[in-house]
Amino acid sequence: MNMVEKILARKSGQKSVAPGDVVLADIDLMCMHDLSANFVMKVFEHEMEGASIADPNKLAFAFDHNFAPATREAAEALAAVRRFAKKHKVKNVFDSGCGSLHHVIMEAGLVTPGMIVVGCDSHSPIYGAIGAFGTGIGNNSMAALGFTQNKGWFKVPETIKIHFHGTPMKSVMPRDISQYLVGKLGEDGAIYKALEYAGPYIESLEVNDRALFPLQAIDVGGKCGFVNPDEKTVRYVQRLFASKPSVPEFEMLANDADCRYAEIVDIDVSRIEPQVACPPTVGNVKPIDAAVGTPINVAEAGGSTGGRLSDIRALARCLANRRIHPDVRLQVVPASRDIYLAALKEGLFETLHMAGANIFPPSAGSNQAFNMGALAEDEVMISTQARNFPGRNGHPKARHFLASPLTVAASALTGKITDPRTLEVQ
Amino acid sequence: MQDKITGRVYKFGDNVNSDIIIAGRYLIYIDPVKLAEHAFEMLGEGFPEKLRSFDILVAGRNFGCGSAREQASTAIKGLGIKAVVAASFARTFYRNAINDGLPIFECPAVYDAVAEGDEISIDLKKGVISHAGGEHEFPRIPESVAKILELGGLASYLKSTLELDREATA
Repeated sequence: MNMVEKILARKSGQKSVAPGDVVLADIDLMCMHDLSANFVMKVFEHEMEGASIADPNKLAFAFDHNFAPATREAAEALAAVRRFAKKHKVKNVFDSGCGSLHHVIMEAGLVTPGMIVVGCDSHSPIYGAIGAFGTGIGNNSMAALGFTQNKGWFKVPETIKIHFHGTPMKSVMPRDISQYLVGKLGEDGAIYKALEYAGPYIESLEVNDRALFPLQAIDVGGKCGFVNPDEKTVRYVQRLFASKPSVPEFEMLANDADCRYAEIVDIDVSRIEPQVACPPTVGNVKPIDAAVGTPINVAEAGGSTGGRLSDIRALARCLANRRIHPDVRLQVVPASRDIYLAALKEGLFETLHMAGANIFPPSAGSNQAFNMGALAEDEVMISTQARNFPGRNGHPKARHFLASPLTVAASALTGKITDPRTLEVQ
Repeated sequence: MQDKITGRVYKFGDNVNSDIIIAGRYLIYIDPVKLAEHAFEMLGEGFPEKLRSFDILVAGRNFGCGSAREQASTAIKGLGIKAVVAASFARTFYRNAINDGLPIFECPAVYDAVAEGDEISIDLKKGVISHAGGEHEFPRIPESVAKILELGGLASYLKSTLELDREATA
């Protein structure tokens, strides 16, 4: 069995499972952002009237879309979730300004290897980067089965292994590689499948960068994505608990040597150029040449696939002692308060401020344009966000390109989409 | 669930994402009627109204991809759509539709064979979708899943099983 199969077997009380089996498994953590917490709560109250929450400690809410609610309706929704949390003794509530859902949950140490984590959010596979099974589910699964019984039904997926090797070119970042994979497999290339990211390139990455890969599992239709846990996983988890009295016990359920794959895909990362996902979809991924020269209005480092400390550092490296193009608004959105503090202490915000950037509160940033990031007709954004579907950021005719933080920074400097390899970076 | 679903087809292409089905700003609602007012509105003015005159959606590959929002299937139900037939579904949409009590069927052959406005008939017992031009088989829905659909979704299913448990132990 591989890691995912072992976790699903363990959590459903079985010795072994095989792809195609349907299991009813115990869930360790259920996470929701402000939007999904609000509607799951409504489903729970309306559909499961009188039911109680089996274990409120297994719920976690992070208000990441509304970092400072801009409408009365949004304020009411947040207030309703806070009341619900109080009433049902849900203590893992991370309020507005805390950061981006999954980053907040990871940093809070709520997830350890071997767990099953479900989220009312399609980027929930991220937890596969630290040896857990994570997947996105809807309101009913969460409210009806999760809230009341800590359980969920899962079909055991087949697994596709992606074997990455080689050393990337200068200025090519993990986001370029993960995005390249989306383009290569296609938006329906892995429907219902688990994706395992392996090989020397993945082994060389730290957990934070590995996380970009399962984060984008959904973009190829995947059920989950994972990296076989190793000593880097253990070190990451130990660091999470460095300031706490002890590290909770956890079990590393790593792959058996003889696990089976539906398919094995080989990727030489040394041949991959910077990649951009062009409008209108996440799967429309092209080498950067296809978009170079497109004038931009907004550039952003933020969102569940951006706003990490490494992203902000890359931005600062590129923009130090420079000034962004006068037609561009550059938005920097740290993914958590810890990242905000670290960036502040390192002086990255001063560098970026002097370059002309605006620093926003830790949040999901321009994702779906709740508190920021709406575009006018024909405006163009380039960002590290996860989605670029038309209408998601204001006008349906606005265009949104997704790229690495270095490409975002290089484009902010010149005012048009720019290959970061053409710029001197400190 | 009824044995047959019959009606007029509206046809979509590949990779219809859940942002197109229902935009993020409407996720404050869970009511199918309210959601249906804004379903597919990105595709043009009057689009939700137009879809109400059809009964079954037929789509290409990966229908419902993107965000995991269950409101996508709820909004489609709210339009009065009786079923969705696609070449393939995004897994979150597939799961949500079942939990929401919206019948969905994977049948790639139907996509090429029918046009907008065609009348098709889905025979759930036989596992066959038929139209004027022919018949196509589809993999029958597993019994456990059919039971959830029959009761109108996961919440009703769980309530009914809880009630059955209570009756059994009473």
